[in-house]
Amino acid sequence: MTAAASSDADLISAHAAGDPYAFSELVKRHRDRMWAVALRTLRDPEEAADALQEAFISAFRAASSFRAESQVTTWLHRIVVNACLDRMRRRQTRPTVPLPEAGPGEPVAPRDAMSERETRLMVQDALAELPEEQRAPIVLVDVEGYSVAETAQLLGIAEGTVKSRCARGRAKLAKVLGHLRNQIADANVPADGVNVQAQPRRQWEDR
Amino acid sequence: MTGTERTPLDPPWSLDLLADLHAGVLDERTEAELRPRVMADPDARAVLEALDATVMDLHNLPPIPMPREVADRIDAALAAEARPAAPVVSLDEARKRRNRRLGLGGGVLAAAAAAIGIALVVAPQNNTADQPPGAQQTQTSDKPVSGPPLAVKEGEFAAAVPEVLKAQNYGPLDNQDRLAGCLKGGGITSTAKPLGISPVSLKGKTAVMAILPGGAPGQFRIVVLDPDTCGPDNPQGVIADTTIKPTR
Repeated sequence: MTAAASSDADLISAHAAGDPYAFSELVKRHRDRMWAVALRTLRDPEEAADALQEAFISAFRAASSFRAESQVTTWLHRIVVNACLDRMRRRQTRPTVPLPEAGPGEPVAPRDAMSERETRLMVQDALAELPEEQRAPIVLVDVEGYSVAETAQLLGIAEGTVKSRCARGRAKLAKVLGHLRNQIADANVPADGVNVQAQPRRQWEDR
Repeated sequence: MTGTERTPLDPPWSLDLLADLHAGVLDERTEAELRPRVMADPDARAVLEALDATVMDLHNLPPIPMPREVADRIDAALAAEARPAAPVVSLDEARKRRNRRLGLGGGVLAAAAAAIGIALVVAPQNNTADQPPGAQQTQTSDKPVSGPPLAVKEGEFAAAVPEVLKAQNYGPLDNQDRLAGCLKGGGITSTAKPLGISPVSLKGKTAVMAILPGGAPGQFRIVVLDPDTCGPDNPQGVIADTTIKPTR
């Protein structure tokens, strides 16, 4: 079959029918996005690689029972997210390794490369500081662009819970990233779990 | 009520309440009541703008491409998954096959055929053909395997790939540096961690099988080393070096 011209659903069907290359093609299409989710959720490249391998093998085995009621990407994403959540639960107290500063092939902007890189690192670090229950929905909704409904489905929690966890997480991130430098005092908000002092502040705010 | 008491919807508003408003957590009625007041307050509006800027920062995080070695490892694991498990043939079945093929009967010859049949079959240590999907273990292990090493036969190394891919056991080679030295002896330059590595038994002797990326998607390179002799200066320490593609 012409893999490039096939839909995800066609590839799943071809895999179920015995095409040895169909599932690999499906993985190739989505692996970067899945990798980003796994890495940002787990914060440890080794753990992310293990979780993805586990998830893809599990998807490979379950693919023949896939029903077209849901999108293939949503189905695959759910398997990956579950594999990551399982690992997060297992390692609750284990320290994590910081994300690499730049992945291979990461686009390099010619202009303002330093400040863009600095911003990216700051956001990445701030994200890593969030409690896991807030980080997972923020990664899915704000970084990966999933809807609240899809995220609720992926994480197996209510939509309202997704919204409130995102709200708590964004409020912490806004402080850590320096967007709320002046507003915190005005809004009469006590400092919460985030170590605001330890985080770098943006120096190029235009507000 | 005195008429001057604050309600939760009166300013100053907590950051949590404003973040809830921003995220759509509040019920319709509360939101309808609160939003116009918030929008009329420059400080509160600035908080919403700060939350918008935060979401924008998150949205602008660049994609993270999967590193090549992780992609190779996953390709190899899927290729191994696509490969049918080497069949384990029962003694009776082996006898029947040999008898049918050779057209021979008689107890002595059948017994001999069965013996040959067993020798020809290379079975992975843990045959999982009868297990339900999902029951197979896919996690890698760096713990030494107790019990005898996986038996492999020359020319049929591919049958051992699914098992070796699950392991990160350097066995008598101890570590990645020694592996790299042995590979170098065979002219194979590889500084990356192997996709899988495990001690194996070949012709009754302990060897080490390493699986490396095969240079193309779905392919992998099987290298079998003699741990007693291999090293950077000894090409003879590489017992086998072959690249395979998955079949179904």
